[in-house]
Amino acid sequence: MAEQKKVRFVIERQDGPDSAPYTQEFDVDYRPGLNVVAALMEIQKNPVTVDGKKVAPVVWECNCLEKVCGACMMVINGKARQACCSLIDNLEQPIRLQPARTFPVIRDLLIDRSVMFESLKRIQGWVEVDGSWDVKDAPIQNPYTAETAYEISHCMTCGCCMEACPNVGPQSDFIGPSPTVQAYLFNLHPLGKFDAPKRLNALMEKGGITSCGNSQNCVQACPKNIKLTTYLAQLNRDVNKQALKNIFNH
Amino acid sequence: MFHTTFYVRRLHSLVGLLALGMVLFEHIFTNSMALGGAPALNGALAMMELIPKPIFLGLEIGAIAAPLLFHAIYGIYICLQAKNNPGRYGYVRNWQFALQRWTAWFLVVFLVWHIFYLRIFTKGIAGTPISYELLQSYFVANPVYALLYILGMFAAIFHFCNGITTFCMTWGIAKGPRIQNVISLMSMGLCAVLCLVTLAFMGSYFVM
Repeated sequence: MAEQKKVRFVIERQDGPDSAPYTQEFDVDYRPGLNVVAALMEIQKNPVTVDGKKVAPVVWECNCLEKVCGACMMVINGKARQACCSLIDNLEQPIRLQPARTFPVIRDLLIDRSVMFESLKRIQGWVEVDGSWDVKDAPIQNPYTAETAYEISHCMTCGCCMEACPNVGPQSDFIGPSPTVQAYLFNLHPLGKFDAPKRLNALMEKGGITSCGNSQNCVQACPKNIKLTTYLAQLNRDVNKQALKNIFNH
Repeated sequence: MFHTTFYVRRLHSLVGLLALGMVLFEHIFTNSMALGGAPALNGALAMMELIPKPIFLGLEIGAIAAPLLFHAIYGIYICLQAKNNPGRYGYVRNWQFALQRWTAWFLVVFLVWHIFYLRIFTKGIAGTPISYELLQSYFVANPVYALLYILGMFAAIFHFCNGITTFCMTWGIAKGPRIQNVISLMSMGLCAVLCLVTLAFMGSYFVM
């Protein structure tokens, strides 16, 4: 029988939020269709490094395994992407896995992305439906913008754009491409548009859309192919108009 | 609710394109007179001297020094917010993003040297008028300085031309990828032309 083909993984690990990172190498049996999440599961079953040392299993996060939830985002061979849809056959070996250090690392490849949730709260990433008014039938979406809204609604807050963006990280207060563009989604909504000035004013604050440096990495990194740079430019237009209103309406 | 960050950022963008763009074009225009030899450049410099002194000084402070200081100081703050990563994400625009910041750092150092030596020391304190002969002897005696001036001009030209592209994005003028690409190509074309003009007038000191 032919010798079992192996896939070498070089994994950047970290025992806790404040501990120093180190790397460990693992070999995983190759099989057709193997992806990074499945390989990490194999390592979890048998966490033995290439030197034969038994170590604590590698910690990471995953959920849906079909590029919908965004949980398994990590840096694979230097680029941020979803581990579940990263097929071994398409990757250069050895495969290097790192946590997305734009976010605080909890352990190994597990990161804390709660900052994105905080940013969504900041830009009011929701539609007000409860109030003192009658709730009638849902209003219809504008058919001309529905396609755009559908596209932006695919965002799964995975954080690929945040990791790729040179202006997002511990050195900066930029909320990042994804939460910024979500403001446009809710501004397009037939009910959400009532709060558009609120969202635009929030984007004009420190760390808002003005922190975008136009590196355009976000649009390249987005696994859902959301045209982030186009919507960022649209929002730039919108905040400029909002600024004129703020100045000349009072 | 007064969005200081927003207005300061937009001002930084406007000042860079309009005020400092004018300064850059004035420099390229006047210096390219060197291609016509000493009479042409000295004539252009004499034309500028015709502007009454108080107005000239007012322009130097109001239209050059103040915008430059604001753009540089706030620009340093912007530079410090970036972790340049073209090594990992080697897309053209990301390289331009990093180059925009690297040229900025170089220009801060270069302009301090340029302004202190030529404007404040040579013209201001020593009282030597700037002339074709002065520049030629300076560059020919110190080819390394000539090289640094060429690099300084290249950095400023790239920073300005890439600034046109990002200006169009930041102000929401160019929204879609096609128009953004067209503007980027056009500004890089302008960058190449202005760099060639710079090479020509700087080179003319050595051949004439």
